Amino acid sequence: MANINPNFASELKKYGSVNFNACYNCGTCTAVCSLSTEDDSFPREMVRFSVLGLEDDIQTSLKPWLCYYCGECSESCPRTANPGELMMAIRRYLTAKYDWTGLSGLLYKSLPLTIMAFIVTAIAVIYYSFSEGLNVEKIMDFGHLFEMISIATVFSVILLPNIIRMWWMTVLKQKKKIAFATYFKSIGELIVHMFTQKRARDCDDNEFRWLEHLVLVIGYLSLLFTTVVLDWFGTDNLFIIILGYVESAIVFIVTVDFVGSRIKQKKEASKFSQPSDWFFVIWLFLLGFTAFVVRVFIDLDLIETNLWMYLIHLIVLVQWALLIVPFGKWTHFLYRSFAMYFDKLLKEPAKQTSK
Amino acid sequence: MKNKIGVYICQCGSNISDYVDVEKVKEIVSSEDIVFLSKTTMFACADSTQKEIAADIAEQNLDGLVVASCSPKLHLDTFRNVAIRADLNPYNYVQVNIREQCSWAHSDKPKDATEKAIKLVLAGIHRVKHSVALEKLKISSENTVVVVGAGIAGMRSAIELADMGSQVYLIEREHFVGGRTSQWNELFTTGESGRDVVSSLYKQIKSHSDITLFTGAEVVSKGGSVGNFNIEVKITPRYIKPQCELDMDKFEKVLEICPIEVEDEFNFGLTKRKAIYKNYPSEFPEIPAIDDKNCNRCGKCLELCPDIDFGQKVETLNLKAGAILITTGFDPYEPKEGEFGYKTVDSVITLQQMKRLIELNDKELIYNGKKINKVGFIYCVGSRQPDGDNKYCSRYCCTSAIYTGTVVREKYKNIQNFHFNRGIRTYGKQELLYHDASENGDVFLQFYNDSTPAITSNGTGPKVTIEDFLTKGKEIEVNLDLLVLVTGMVPRKERNIADILKIPIGRDKFYNEIHPKLRPVETVIDGVHIAGACQSPKNITESVKSALSAAAKANSLISKGEIELEPTLAVIDKSLCKSAGECIKICPYDAITTVEYDGKTVSEVNKSSCKGCGMCIPVCPENAIQLIGYTDIEIESMIEALI
Repeated sequence: MANINPNFASELKKYGSVNFNACYNCGTCTAVCSLSTEDDSFPREMVRFSVLGLEDDIQTSLKPWLCYYCGECSESCPRTANPGELMMAIRRYLTAKYDWTGLSGLLYKSLPLTIMAFIVTAIAVIYYSFSEGLNVEKIMDFGHLFEMISIATVFSVILLPNIIRMWWMTVLKQKKKIAFATYFKSIGELIVHMFTQKRARDCDDNEFRWLEHLVLVIGYLSLLFTTVVLDWFGTDNLFIIILGYVESAIVFIVTVDFVGSRIKQKKEASKFSQPSDWFFVIWLFLLGFTAFVVRVFIDLDLIETNLWMYLIHLIVLVQWALLIVPFGKWTHFLYRSFAMYFDKLLKEPAKQTSK
Repeated sequence: MKNKIGVYICQCGSNISDYVDVEKVKEIVSSEDIVFLSKTTMFACADSTQKEIAADIAEQNLDGLVVASCSPKLHLDTFRNVAIRADLNPYNYVQVNIREQCSWAHSDKPKDATEKAIKLVLAGIHRVKHSVALEKLKISSENTVVVVGAGIAGMRSAIELADMGSQVYLIEREHFVGGRTSQWNELFTTGESGRDVVSSLYKQIKSHSDITLFTGAEVVSKGGSVGNFNIEVKITPRYIKPQCELDMDKFEKVLEICPIEVEDEFNFGLTKRKAIYKNYPSEFPEIPAIDDKNCNRCGKCLELCPDIDFGQKVETLNLKAGAILITTGFDPYEPKEGEFGYKTVDSVITLQQMKRLIELNDKELIYNGKKINKVGFIYCVGSRQPDGDNKYCSRYCCTSAIYTGTVVREKYKNIQNFHFNRGIRTYGKQELLYHDASENGDVFLQFYNDSTPAITSNGTGPKVTIEDFLTKGKEIEVNLDLLVLVTGMVPRKERNIADILKIPIGRDKFYNEIHPKLRPVETVIDGVHIAGACQSPKNITESVKSALSAAAKANSLISKGEIELEPTLAVIDKSLCKSAGECIKICPYDAITTVEYDGKTVSEVNKSSCKGCGMCIPVCPENAIQLIGYTDIEIESMIEALI
């Protein structure tokens, strides 16, 4: 028994859904989808749940994460109901639902609030810098320390609890007995998908976009490693310095293409952009670009007299680490791969209990 | 006696010759001494063969023609025309069906098929032997049409008929014109109101000198036949003088003073009306009417309005007409008590009531004192019934329900519509409406006919429980403020006219046309046409289309002043007739009457009513009846040839 809630459509609209009410359930989207299977059939079913407002069914489903927005569904939809963008909106909605703090939902739904949050963090950084008397060394040390502390805190306080909530909603609520050992046996699935996003290759004609994305992920993660662990801004090791240059260049060059395709709107997946999408790609670009320039300034011995450059980088970094990573689009990196992992768990044959 | 007969045996490509040995057929029939000439042919219907046959008839002076080929339904007229072109009377031609009734039916037994073909062709030859030359019957006709029912179909066809030069008598049972159309406020696709459409038609009718409108009028009997019908019409008066100038204030006072209150059928029982009434101020004709059935003649209204005249009498008129057009429309289906909660659960109404409710509620949608926000529609109530008699789709209701939902959503605030359907059939341009409705948030749920939704009361309103098969059969509950049963069309309950005119009734109980594709507005009763929703469920566009088509058909039948009829009719030998009356009883067309002849009463066939069906022939104890073209001697000689 389920109670219908048509008002849910307007809630989803705030997460960026477009015209999905026009759906007349022909199922073309599901038929053309390269990723949908008999067991995991989407997106029509998700469109239906959304139209009827069956929130429980949406929240307990992993299917939104199994979709990689190839866009064929939206291209083929006879009613231009944009099922692909609905799946995207549902992912935003789920991100908000997994987040125990509720901040994700607030930021997704309100652009003014997001902008305020960005301004407040910027002011805080500037205020701190002045309170330190604009001392370059102190500020750069703080920057490095901040990176380490924020990663640890965001992960343990926000991301880990949220993943546990996701596990509770999508796995535990299914009431299927999963053997403890299965969790270990299936861990490979998590690692593979986290670092390769190989499922995205199954979209038709998606090789380039997948490769681009893969390069960006590797570039981003290794840049993180290079700055945080290898202390890129502080090192004299030529290899590490060059490594950092290459990684940061990869990040800002690839993101330029991503921003470009969102502006051109040629592909279905980049036709509709929510503020959260713009913030994500632009801040990723800024992150790579400002890091690159800061290191150039360091190498040219300009940073002492041009602290402003580092401050810009620090502001971007703080906004990224405190807003976009925990409450923004960054989390899809985790939820997508955990969804594949949870899906694998649920699909393992149930343990034989009787003999 | 014909003794110079030409016989043509068609191979029909190989349709016949694959199974029937046509050469053998030819050989055997050619040995008959009355057969002058026999040929086989690849395609008898081919142009070249037709020319050859015509040349043979003319050159050889043939006096009879037999073509053994396909069904006469296909090519009877083709070869009759060949005969006419060669100056042979077309009734001296007989078509023998050796395809549908022989080669195709016996494709597994070619030898027997050949045997049967020989017999059939011989029978044809012997029928031609006794055939006589016949001429088509010609009867005079009045260029006048009686149109029954002044709804949108009747009004529109009346105007068209008058424009084409026919006199029109437009007969309306109610005291006001417009029928169902005047009950609908907004019409899809134009958004104009039904009553505006009706008003514009009424003005055209009033200004047309060739149309005479009778309201409160009913056909009570019919005499005569095509070309010369005599229609008797009973007219119930309005009891208000025709020169009455309507003063709205005065009329309001009269309404107040009238003590009688009855259920208002115009609003499908949502409101009450007085015995003196007008359904809406701009209704036509302008003068109000007094409902004879309910008025108790208390006379209170007379004190206020001197134009009221209880002295008016019921009148009977006799109208002469060449053709009749029936446009009597439909009734909305009345759900049974308990059907989807009708009359057992509060706030369950029909689609037609809903349409009236919208018009009665200006700013807020209120039903039974309660404000309505959540509206449900259950589709196919009384249509496509899995168990009931109404197997048909009522065509208009999907569109009408979605449009009604759209009007409600746009007219009032905070409306949420739910459509519980069995597949949406908004064909053609109406599909856009469906698209817009779902885009604007109307929710569509679908059920199969073996798991219909359950309607219960949740204390404050109706609750629908449905297994929505679009959501994998999940059981879904929807709490509503108002549930609308999307009731389809059924034939009119009161329809004496069908008995009076003997209009054939189809399995769906609507009036039946001769052929749904080829003769869609004619009935088997010559001169009686049907159009609009009395024939089958139709929307307004479709009704008007059929009305115009029927108008054209009726006009072309009678406007020449003369009608040609088939000569193959029953004739009664008056000297043999002993007036047993069996033929009169059995005739389905009322074509046999009695006349005085030679000092006795005998039966006589009315040539313009007889259809040549032959029902009367075997029942006559005196064997006094012959069917021209199928006389005893023709049939007997056929039988002789067959056995």
